[in-house]
Amino acid sequence: MIELAHVTKRFGDVAAVDDISLRIAKGKFCALVGTSGCGKSTTLRMINRLIAHSDGDIILDGQPIDAYDPVKLRRRIGYVIQHTGLFPHWTVARNIGLVPRLLKWSAADVQAKVEELMKLLGLPVDEFAAKYPHQLSGGQAQRVGVARALAADPDILLMDEPFGALDPITREKLQDELSRLQARMHKTVVFVTHDMDEALRLADHLVVMREGRIVQQGSPLALLQQPNDPFVESLLGGLERGLKQAALTRIKDHMSPMGPTLPAQSRIPAAFSLRQGLSMMLRDHTDRLTVVDQHDVPVGELTLRKIVKEAQPEQGKVRES
Amino acid sequence: MSLLDALPTPQVSWRQWRPNRVLLVLFSAMLAAIWLLDVVSVSPNRIVSGEEAGLIEAIGWVGALLVSGVMLTLLALSLQPSHQGYQVALVGVSLLLLLLPFGLMVASHRLISSDTPQARLNMGMAYWLMLSLLLLCWIELRLRLTLSRRRSTLMLLGVLLVWGVCAILGLDSLALGQELRARDDEFWRALRQHVTLVSASVAISIGLGLTLAMLMRRYAKCQKIAFGVLNFLQTIPSIALFGLMLGPLAWLAAQWPLLSQLGVSGIGWAPALLALVAYSLLPMVRNTYIALEQVSPETLEAARGMGMRNSQRFFQVRLPLALPVLLEGIRITTVQAIGLTAVAALIGAGGLGAFIFQGLGQAAMDMVLLGALPILMLALIADAGLGALADILRPNATAQSGDSQ
Repeated sequence: MIELAHVTKRFGDVAAVDDISLRIAKGKFCALVGTSGCGKSTTLRMINRLIAHSDGDIILDGQPIDAYDPVKLRRRIGYVIQHTGLFPHWTVARNIGLVPRLLKWSAADVQAKVEELMKLLGLPVDEFAAKYPHQLSGGQAQRVGVARALAADPDILLMDEPFGALDPITREKLQDELSRLQARMHKTVVFVTHDMDEALRLADHLVVMREGRIVQQGSPLALLQQPNDPFVESLLGGLERGLKQAALTRIKDHMSPMGPTLPAQSRIPAAFSLRQGLSMMLRDHTDRLTVVDQHDVPVGELTLRKIVKEAQPEQGKVRES
Repeated sequence: MSLLDALPTPQVSWRQWRPNRVLLVLFSAMLAAIWLLDVVSVSPNRIVSGEEAGLIEAIGWVGALLVSGVMLTLLALSLQPSHQGYQVALVGVSLLLLLLPFGLMVASHRLISSDTPQARLNMGMAYWLMLSLLLLCWIELRLRLTLSRRRSTLMLLGVLLVWGVCAILGLDSLALGQELRARDDEFWRALRQHVTLVSASVAISIGLGLTLAMLMRRYAKCQKIAFGVLNFLQTIPSIALFGLMLGPLAWLAAQWPLLSQLGVSGIGWAPALLALVAYSLLPMVRNTYIALEQVSPETLEAARGMGMRNSQRFFQVRLPLALPVLLEGIRITTVQAIGLTAVAALIGAGGLGAFIFQGLGQAAMDMVLLGALPILMLALIADAGLGALADILRPNATAQSGDSQ
């Protein structure tokens, strides 16, 4: 668990981070969102003591971080940065094995861990282990960056705009893989991004920052339903908010049982998001969809009338989409 | 597709002439030089100036036609160059470079009879011109063909090897060879002294350079002062600096007998070494400083974030990444020191420079060459060797295009 209590960071007279309090429960995914220069990166880097905080307390597993040796602290916290920060003179395998080697694992253990992680992140060992970072594409390099951060099995993962420099398709792919990994490993993740869609997709807990302060925090749906500030609302996409909310809602939660009428022509899997359902209605000029399960067997139907009428209480989030 | 695209493109009947002007000029100059100037000269002994001989006298009609033929081919190639043309030209130029010592062997065979063992064969104006023009051609071709430094170094080493074998096998009468045979021991001792002085001064300046560069990174104020002092040192003429060392060192040696027992005195190796180190420091420190600073801050920050200690960060990340640039500094320093050590002969430090100054004093050009040519060779070898090493250590040296996802 990570807890920040009234944390402030001043550079000279300027407060880059101003009295923020935040609690991230174990195994939760917390995204810090805001425009550039809002202090989100600084906040992240205070957690692994790359930047010393000026005031307040940062508590990690019950102990203030000042009580830890900074080097040992960093070795138990995974860290991923935007431009990967891979060492250009080391091979992929050597880059990934960095922290285990610093922790003096045996060579065999390091190699086993490296191979396990490469498989986990979809980097075939034979093809990539001996490559150098400049031989990788942006997406591959960032996979290596994530693997390096996970190498020593840290409980905590800090990610500083890890996908910010990637093209949209690669970014989306890596976001999916990250949420797949997180569903399996339950790390405590602090994720910095300026991309609200990315934050909405990945986070359990959303923290919106502006000029060094926290403007609002809560679950993504809570923020979408009730932004308490025009700034938060504009970050959430203004008029697009409805659709973003629909993107976080599963069709399963809105479908009704099959009616007596003929089933609609258009079919959609129940695990898809409401947003995808709405999109399909627009595309197929219909207000009714047949919902199917993973074996393409009809299980219900989705009607526009029902979606629009239903005031939505908090619903289950879409993890895979 | 419009109708126009479907029509066959009309053939242009005349070709556009785009000659390579550099090669054109160089090859023409070479041709003119070998026909108009003296190629070699023969002198009966060391003191008397030689009798000049032209191309036909030196290597006969057959040789002259062969060489001219190769040059005319190269000239024709440079009129309408292409990639293949450049490759052929490179082969031709290398061939001419390889033929140079054979020409001398033929000339000595033709011009010197066996009953005058004292007679010497000197390389003439045309010979030297041809050598330098060929090297210029070679550089031009290397740039056009974008040869890697490693490959071109290997090629040059091959040429040098052939020259060496020729010199050992069949050039008894060459003036340079006779000069060398006359002072065999002296030459090797001088070469050893030269190399020792250079390596010692480079080694010391690497140590000092690293220390100074690190101090500068820690104390930013240091930087301006240190670069000021080093720049100032660099502006002192080398002979003056060697001279300036005389007084203080002689005094020191007089004060502490231990120092004079070690061989420190106003003249000799000690002042030479000090002056060489003083000159080497600026390029060394500057390159070391830049090398350490150019390492990407993101990479270093990542290293810190991963939990590397400062020493681990320095030795595992910063230093290896700085190494190629650092080696460039060592290369520049070494080449500079090889040249400067020649001047150190003036204050009794020995080395190959001694031949140059003795030869100048006796007006014996062969002896000057005996000092100058090995210095040139040393500099070229150091330059090529260290350059190639830096290329190998650069992580992108083996760069292939990255796969895209």
